[in-house]
Amino acid sequence: MGAPAPRAVGVERLKPVPAGKLSSVNTVEVLLVLAGIPLAIIAVLALLTLRGGRKRLRYKPGQPWDHAPVWYEPHPANGASDSHGPAPAAGPAAVGGSSTAALGSSMYPEQAGERDVDTHGTAVAHLGSAGAHGGDGHGGGAHASGAGAGYPPVDAGPLGGARGTW
Amino acid sequence: MTSAVETESHDTATNRTAPARTDESERGALDEIFSFQELARLDEALTMSSRETGLRFTLYIGDLGERTRATAEQLHARSGHHPTDSVLLAVSPGQKVVEVVTGAGAARRLPDRACALAVLSMTTSFASGDLVGGIINGLRQLSDQAGHPASLRQH
Repeated sequence: MGAPAPRAVGVERLKPVPAGKLSSVNTVEVLLVLAGIPLAIIAVLALLTLRGGRKRLRYKPGQPWDHAPVWYEPHPANGASDSHGPAPAAGPAAVGGSSTAALGSSMYPEQAGERDVDTHGTAVAHLGSAGAHGGDGHGGGAHASGAGAGYPPVDAGPLGGARGTW
Repeated sequence: MTSAVETESHDTATNRTAPARTDESERGALDEIFSFQELARLDEALTMSSRETGLRFTLYIGDLGERTRATAEQLHARSGHHPTDSVLLAVSPGQKVVEVVTGAGAARRLPDRACALAVLSMTTSFASGDLVGGIINGLRQLSDQAGHPASLRQH
């Protein structure tokens, strides 16, 4: 066995070496390849994920809610400004064509004067519609009106519903 | 030089001009609570369930005071021209309370049991922090229950 071949450095390494001979690699190069490249990839991914835009705090149950109240309402059908009532004034929940207003069950028969309440409400209700439309968002959001800025209060008969906590 | 997106409002507003977008951002961003994407989902859910059913669904998000049911019912009375056929979803994330209020006409198509079921599914989502998803699922359940009356069918 003769003396080992002199170590090729820099440009020398690019020169073709005889078959069967491998150019030696020094420690710095090993570190650069085996540690530097993974670290660079991690850094790029971290930059992409951690950078983020404006932070919007995600709601977590139990944390206080210090936003102003907001009230979203559906878009009026056909873009008509005065048709906030979802269906014609004949009796919105009533099924047209059938004489009965009850759809769900006979447990809650229609109260006398219930529809009168409705027609009474229609008479006064135009006051609030301008304010409710003013809150239309730029960004395709729902109509948002400030809480309490809606419509004059109308008695809606015996109310139903449900309540839940979490 | 004027940049494409101005960060400060130029003082060209008068009492008679409408608020500019830059004024609105000072007042509080529109997407302060929800992103525009989430707002669009809420908007679609509210609008489509209202059109499907002929009931008027509105959504209130905010504090409901100490007597949550009473506050929600007061809100419901002012929720539209026909509160009889309105359904109010009142969510108070700070108090961890959700109230569904149905007017007398809406209650006939949405019995309390159906509302309770929708509330249950909503609170499940809310408890895991998903406000928008819970609201949309609740609206879907409520509008499915209320059905699509024949008078609203266009064809």
